[in-house]
Amino acid sequence: MRYLTIALTKGRLAGQTMALLEEIGVFCEEMKDPSSRKLIFTNEELKLKFFLAKGPDVPTYVEYGAADIGIVGKDILMEEERKVYEVLDLGFGKCRMCVCGREESREKLLHQEQIRVATKYPNIAKDYFYNEKNQTVELIKLNGSIELAPIVGLAEVIVDIVETGSTLRDNGLVVLEEICPLSARVAVNPVSMRMENDRIMWLLEQIGSRLQKENA
Amino acid sequence: MKNRLLHTPDGMRDIYNGECERKQALEAGLSGVMRSHGFRMIETPSLEFFDVFSKEVGTIPSSELYRFFDREGNTLVLRPDFTPSIARAASKYFPLETEPVRLCYAGNTFVNSTSYQGRLCENTQLGAELIGDGSADADAEMIAMAVRMLLEAGLTDFQISVGNVRFLGSLLEEAGIRDDDAEELTRLLSNRNSFGAGQLLDRLHVEGPVRKVLEALPGLVGSRDVLDKARALSEGLAACEALDRLSLIYDILDLYGVAGHISFDLGMTSRYMYYTGVIFRGYTYGVGEAVIKGGRYDGLLAHFGKPSPSIGFVAVIGLIMNALERQSAVPGEGPQRILIIYGPDSRPKAAALAAKLRGEGESVAMRVLGPGEDAKEVAARSEGNYREIIEAR
Repeated sequence: MRYLTIALTKGRLAGQTMALLEEIGVFCEEMKDPSSRKLIFTNEELKLKFFLAKGPDVPTYVEYGAADIGIVGKDILMEEERKVYEVLDLGFGKCRMCVCGREESREKLLHQEQIRVATKYPNIAKDYFYNEKNQTVELIKLNGSIELAPIVGLAEVIVDIVETGSTLRDNGLVVLEEICPLSARVAVNPVSMRMENDRIMWLLEQIGSRLQKENA
Repeated sequence: MKNRLLHTPDGMRDIYNGECERKQALEAGLSGVMRSHGFRMIETPSLEFFDVFSKEVGTIPSSELYRFFDREGNTLVLRPDFTPSIARAASKYFPLETEPVRLCYAGNTFVNSTSYQGRLCENTQLGAELIGDGSADADAEMIAMAVRMLLEAGLTDFQISVGNVRFLGSLLEEAGIRDDDAEELTRLLSNRNSFGAGQLLDRLHVEGPVRKVLEALPGLVGSRDVLDKARALSEGLAACEALDRLSLIYDILDLYGVAGHISFDLGMTSRYMYYTGVIFRGYTYGVGEAVIKGGRYDGLLAHFGKPSPSIGFVAVIGLIMNALERQSAVPGEGPQRILIIYGPDSRPKAAALAAKLRGEGESVAMRVLGPGEDAKEVAARSEGNYREIIEAR
């Protein structure tokens, strides 16, 4: 039997995913060993391979079929726009994609004014401002600490993920508009979906019914 | 600065030596299969007027086209897709033909999408178009030919996934879902996003049997019994017609003896908007996308003035080669050529020997020794590239 390869997003998401997989009887002890320097972890019994990758790379691995399945945040799927099947909402890692800024900037979002928008997610920001709000904006791509931008005057507003909003509050910023809710998703390579349909559907059904039980 | 001269543009590359030979052998093999099905070769220009690939035609988005201007200011496009070119040519050269026209082609297509890093912009495609035949037999013949081509290429573990855009189309019509909503729902369903599709159906207040089928759609993937499952769900709906067509095609494919490679996927859609009926894709291990793509486009030729039902597909050569390589289905061939090394004195002998070997069908390269060069040293440097090295004396 061929190995099914699963790409996990490094960090908290990977831990939550493995916890969920354990609940349906899929274990990977190798992965729990913090001293291990392995890059690929295997479950010989079910012929599964796991590896950890940075979030934005997960859809890329899946698109090219280097991984059959990927677990990744909705924000990254939206931003990367890779050709993958988004098959399941795992329900954890919940947060929101928002337009944030100082309260005074709220006005600027109302009158089609050309403003500067700083973000780690230029595609999402562009789609939102151009296609939903019909507002022409100047996008500035940043790679972290996006909250800084409106404080030091680099941009009027930012587009970023908001979980609790405490970082925003601490820095005198507020959520001005909500773009969409986010959570962890299962992405599947379209070819794998055909060639390994039975095994992938089995896995998805197990996870799906487990999630339903939790919600009930 | 000199090193810059060696680069090729993004998404373009050189193919040479063994890879190039394997590619040409593959192309020749696949062309042979198409010829054996009664198709005749056509070459269309690499550049066409923009209108051939415009939005109404429904090929790839115009933002992904390579565009140029001619001296009169007309917009020209490097073909991104063969089908519209062939449709244009067929309408031009066979306007009065009432019998089916069979055309096949091989050439490169160009799609200017920088966002897909690691994906080439220039791709060699081989394909065939059967113009003027609207029957299920034509559908089946094309699909059977696709199977034969992949077998000819040396692949054994592959599937042709068959769908019908009319199935989803008639469901959407029946539910009264139109325009942006239809587009959004199609996108969600083709992404197998049942969760998102359910939410959208709630918002649009779609209920009843149509909703049941739409919700089941992402799961309607698999062997022949998927059609029966779909029929049970869509009893009495117009979508049944699309299912009838697929069953008939399957029966004919069975006659051709290729049904083992066929699976069905009723949720399959395509980014090409010109497809109107059966669509199919060939999948195999080792590559993340379809190696064969095709479908029925009954409306496209009317755009060029010759309304005729048609079906066609392309095989993407680069992807098939990747698949062969990753499945290690490529026979490991050693070097094939013979090298003759000779000094100016033994020129007549070398020439005679080369003529003789070439006459026997060998591939022979000549290497004349320069002043002070030693035959042994040259032979040592050339080893590995040649099957045999002969020193003519």
